[in-house]
Amino acid sequence: MPKLSTIIYYLFHIPELRAIIQWKIWHDAPHERDPDKESESLRQCFYYLDKTSRSFAAVIKELNPELLSPICLFYLILRGLDTIEDDMTIALSEKEPLLRDFDSILEKDGWSYDGNHAKEKDRELLVNFHVVITEFKNIKPTYRSIIKDITKKMGNGMADYANNAEHNINGVNTVKEYELYCHYVAGLVGEGLTRLFVESKLANPALLERAPLQESMGQFLQQTNIIRDIREDWDDKRRFWPKEIWSKHVANFEDLFKPEHQVAALNCSSEMILLALERADECLLYLAGLREQSVFNFAAIPQAMAIATLELCFRNPDMFKRNIKITKGQACQLMMESTQNLQILYGAFRAHVRKIHTRNDPKDPNFLKISVACGKIEQFIENVFPSQVPQAKVGALGGKTITAEDAAKAKADAAEARWDSIYMLSAVCLTLFLVTVFMVGTAWLSGARFDIVFNDLWNGKFFPKSSTTVSAKQEL
Amino acid sequence: MSHLHVLLTGGTGFVGTAILKALDEYHPEYRVSVLDFISESRWARPNTAFDIQYYQADITNRHQVSEAIHACKPTIVIHTAGMVTKNNSRYRDPNPEIVFRINVEGTRNVLDAAKSSGATSFVYTSSVTIVTDDQDHDYPNVNETVPTGFALCTYGQSKLAAEKVVLAANSPEFATCALRPSTLMGPGDTNLVPTIQRCIAEFETPFIIGSGLNLYDFTYVGNVADAHVLAAENLTRPHADDRTAAGEAIFITNGQPVPFRSFCLAVWAEWGHAPPFEIHVPKRVAWTAGYLAEWWTWIRGTEATLCRGSVKDYCQTAYADISKSRRILGYEPRVGLPEGIKISCADLKRRMEENKLS
Repeated sequence: MPKLSTIIYYLFHIPELRAIIQWKIWHDAPHERDPDKESESLRQCFYYLDKTSRSFAAVIKELNPELLSPICLFYLILRGLDTIEDDMTIALSEKEPLLRDFDSILEKDGWSYDGNHAKEKDRELLVNFHVVITEFKNIKPTYRSIIKDITKKMGNGMADYANNAEHNINGVNTVKEYELYCHYVAGLVGEGLTRLFVESKLANPALLERAPLQESMGQFLQQTNIIRDIREDWDDKRRFWPKEIWSKHVANFEDLFKPEHQVAALNCSSEMILLALERADECLLYLAGLREQSVFNFAAIPQAMAIATLELCFRNPDMFKRNIKITKGQACQLMMESTQNLQILYGAFRAHVRKIHTRNDPKDPNFLKISVACGKIEQFIENVFPSQVPQAKVGALGGKTITAEDAAKAKADAAEARWDSIYMLSAVCLTLFLVTVFMVGTAWLSGARFDIVFNDLWNGKFFPKSSTTVSAKQEL
Repeated sequence: MSHLHVLLTGGTGFVGTAILKALDEYHPEYRVSVLDFISESRWARPNTAFDIQYYQADITNRHQVSEAIHACKPTIVIHTAGMVTKNNSRYRDPNPEIVFRINVEGTRNVLDAAKSSGATSFVYTSSVTIVTDDQDHDYPNVNETVPTGFALCTYGQSKLAAEKVVLAANSPEFATCALRPSTLMGPGDTNLVPTIQRCIAEFETPFIIGSGLNLYDFTYVGNVADAHVLAAENLTRPHADDRTAAGEAIFITNGQPVPFRSFCLAVWAEWGHAPPFEIHVPKRVAWTAGYLAEWWTWIRGTEATLCRGSVKDYCQTAYADISKSRRILGYEPRVGLPEGIKISCADLKRRMEENKLS
């Protein structure tokens, strides 16, 4: 049963309620997995997928059968890696070799790990990790080597960060470091997924050559998460916003959360959002390279959620007070818009970009840069899907070049038109005048005492008072 | 090898001055002459490495122009001289034939003289308005294939007529091209930024006409100057086949379309002004108000910023795709929009300060 507050919310947001209902009724999965044909260990894997993923489980389960289990396993492997990295109770001496060798662990039959703290939410996945390893052996060797390669790179990147004591105390310093961090945890995923898509012939092979596009897909999502989670991360004593950016706005990181620095904090967040927004057009270009519906949905839904989340965070002081999220209704609306075709998805992007535009504050130091970034996204969309430019319209000139004679004639016409207007206006004025004279004359003939009215006006009595009326009556 | 000799018409003007600076930066080895109609003594000569020869001539005077250009004997002519209609006359020009005489006949005179004096190349400063002055329609992301001839304002009409004359004259011996910059800002701008700035004093800043989201192209004048230098280089390459810009019309903008409203807000912010509140005015209401204001200003014989034409300009979506200029000229806007606004506003502040003193 939904909470009362939820019911009230949707009573006032009927379109969102409609989106939820529509999504439930009309959404057809492009592919559906068939648990009856799956092995026990694969069913286990999907069980852990549901347990560990909030947003990805549904889209992964609708993937083309060719990629269904490779991407499910890819997700679980990275989730396992992430669970080790996240757990601050694991000693560095134990953690580092685990991270660095995680790709070879994938070959060790029956490997599992119970070293996580009891409160670590995805602990159970690692305790039963052998099911993932069993299934990993069953996928095509080409997919296996791609997943292993990415796991190795990501594990090493995470180990470098875990080793970096400075990072653990002060967080991220420069924008470059910030982007490198996002590269390890998300950019690499973009690379791995692209290789899987192309290998399975479900995406344009040209995407492989465009490393910056793959990178942007991951960066856009990761940066959005980091922006949205500012408060939650801070409560967990972690900080990912680079000092290079926040130090322009506040002296100490914790000032971001103080009400007296709210304007500075918002300007800081809009600079972070700007950094992410500058990647959006590359994401849109990437999505144009996906050929198969389920792969498109899988990649497009998170991107649409990200642009909506950026819009939600943009100049929203609540993000520093609590964890903010788009509502279920908005999410359903976005899922509908990102599971049809490229043009509808681009339309959703444009709508959110325009909302960012309208909330942009000229007092923000990055005001115009944000406008430019939003304009760039809109221009990109216009480039791919041009709106109709009036070509066949019948102009007054019929498309011919004007000469000086035409111009002189136009001037004469304009002068004539002006005099026509003057005649019309004079006629209207004259009519009004005659009507007034007639009405006033009729009133006077019937005995109206204009002399009293003028007298009163002369004496400053603009509004009739009862006494005036009485005296007027008396005189009559 | 003898260096290029550039004749710049309109060299004392807004765009001309910026081109002189760009020539000085990229090609101090060139020989540069300037042709303009003001007397040389009134020209505040910019600081350049060139020993500039000045020719005073009125481009509408065929004989005068011909004489000056034959005396100058340039290799290439960059023709920026022209008349820009401002404020209300942009929308309802009292003397369109004057605009046509300067912009079309003047261009024909300069072009003919350049050709007969032995110049090999001709760069013409056209305008994006030849397309976008059709303010009843939106022109999002237009490229050079969009049909022209629908302009409603005199300025756009005259620039198109002149552009056609210039491009028709293109031949292997005499290479011509037309650059079409969008609305310009920069040092010496007397039109765009000053008009927007005046809205603060007139309490016009809270009004958002239409959606306020229509994208529009604004271009920093220095970038347009760069494009002229690139076009000049292109049209004077040794082999005629390499002169890829010959016979072409090319859009030149900052490539950073933003909502018209955002541009205004950014200008106002430079004066520390932010609208205290915002009022959305539907386009039709504003259009009607503009119509009434036109009558009112006509009766009083003054000029106002509000009129039907300015309402349409403000609400129009009009920006260009500049991939052709990138491809053919190797053009890349050097000064971004935020920086361009800062420079333009600083320049206007300085001039306002000077006016106050004098």
